[in-house]
Amino acid sequence: MGNSTSFSLHGKVIIQFGGTGLLGRALVSELASTGCTLVVASRNRPALQSLADKERTAGRTVLIEETDIGSEASLHSLRDRVLAEHKRVDGIVFNAVSRPMKAMNDDLAIWRQSMETNATGFFATVRTFGDVMAAQRAGSIVNISSIYGMVGSNLSLYEGTNMTVAPDYFFHKGGMLNLTRYLGSHYGPQGVRVNVVSPGGIYNPDTPQAPAFIERYNKITMLGRMAQAREIAGAVIFLLGDASSYITGANIPVDGGHTAK
Amino acid sequence: MKPWHSLEGKTIWVTGGAGYLGSAITAALDSQCAKVICFDLPGKAEAFVRQQKLTHTVPLSLDVTDAAGLPAVIDATVAAHGLPDSVVHLVAASSSGKRLEVLLPEEFQRTFDLALTPTFVLCRALAERMKARGSGCFVLFASMYGVVAPDPRIYHDPMAPNPIDYGASKAAILQLSRYFAVHYGPAGIRFNCVTPGPFPNPAVQKNHPTFIEDLNKKTALHRIGQNAEIVGPTLFLLTDSASYVTGHSLVVDGGWTAW
Repeated sequence: MGNSTSFSLHGKVIIQFGGTGLLGRALVSELASTGCTLVVASRNRPALQSLADKERTAGRTVLIEETDIGSEASLHSLRDRVLAEHKRVDGIVFNAVSRPMKAMNDDLAIWRQSMETNATGFFATVRTFGDVMAAQRAGSIVNISSIYGMVGSNLSLYEGTNMTVAPDYFFHKGGMLNLTRYLGSHYGPQGVRVNVVSPGGIYNPDTPQAPAFIERYNKITMLGRMAQAREIAGAVIFLLGDASSYITGANIPVDGGHTAK
Repeated sequence: MKPWHSLEGKTIWVTGGAGYLGSAITAALDSQCAKVICFDLPGKAEAFVRQQKLTHTVPLSLDVTDAAGLPAVIDATVAAHGLPDSVVHLVAASSSGKRLEVLLPEEFQRTFDLALTPTFVLCRALAERMKARGSGCFVLFASMYGVVAPDPRIYHDPMAPNPIDYGASKAAILQLSRYFAVHYGPAGIRFNCVTPGPFPNPAVQKNHPTFIEDLNKKTALHRIGQNAEIVGPTLFLLTDSASYVTGHSLVVDGGWTAW
């Protein structure tokens, strides 16, 4: 079980899926600072390259791998490349998400398209790398869900803004929570832990949410503010490392107390 | 920049800090904090600090049976050592050994008097003082038996199942923590629970191998927890790693309650 009081990820090989969005970029920066070997897998090649360049400028090393999680062959190829290069995988962070659906009345074809990444792609990814870590008899899977995997949405938060809340997201994030429990029991005997982090609303400093939304959202948290993206990383690092050696099948909401009330 | 999980310069109180779980936490905090105040039964904290040669820990006696006297103890400790940055509260009580059929109402009541009322008094007294500062962090110890009931089938005579008053008081701690989190959130004070699964102490591990095997089978990881494994979750909640986490019950149970 390693040093069960250590928060260090030094020497570990971590793959993060989805790294180019607001949360993904913050997770990349924080994980790259822990001393682990960080591989970021995403479909968006130019965005990955610019992420790696930006991190290098900041003195951090990030390895990038173009991957389509909608294709099992692409995932297996990623697995083979990572194992050839690094010999092992100690943890994965599943932060990939696709949000093609915009509204309740969208065509079902868009719902199906969403399933392709958020349900099938998610399962294919955790199975591919869960199996790798099970064979090693150690590892940690951290899935990024959302408070919208735990509770419904108060739509009055969004009134008068152009922000939308689509139903597929609630299905996938809620499903992710319980699939995590299944995976926790499936892989537990092989020493692989599987957990979820459920962030609340994250403030976007680059393109801020509508002021009316931010003001209302602040009030539904008990800390009176939205999360900073980097604040989600503390829970992710904790769950990836040996400090959480006896935690599996658990959910950590990082939501400023929103779901406590 | 200090790392997320840094506790450098902090003063932290640990109640029940010399017990099986508390001692692992106190020892870890001693090496990272400016000062640890370790409360336990008379003589117990002193002996622990001496044996472990802890250099940053002040051992103090705490009589939790005396809820009326608690404010004076808090006042005196704050006067002598300053307002703590954080509090880890492990003090628990139970009618352990008594079976449900023979448990007396006064024994049931006593567990609540020991486990719950002092927790309320302690948390409110310190959080009220922390309000002016605008920061603080509490980690209260609950239990998986505040979430699920013990399975009587794994307790073989003469071992009595984990008693009803223990679990009921731990469920109350979970709710107390959420209530405090919501009440004091706007003041920048966080409240969370660590909710341990099976962490039997070394004597139980040694003397009841069949029981341990039954506990192992009830977890996804197929093993009981060891006290060192409660340290990381406690540190996570105490530090900036969890700056946006409040009102949470962090379950550390090897997957016991996940299925």
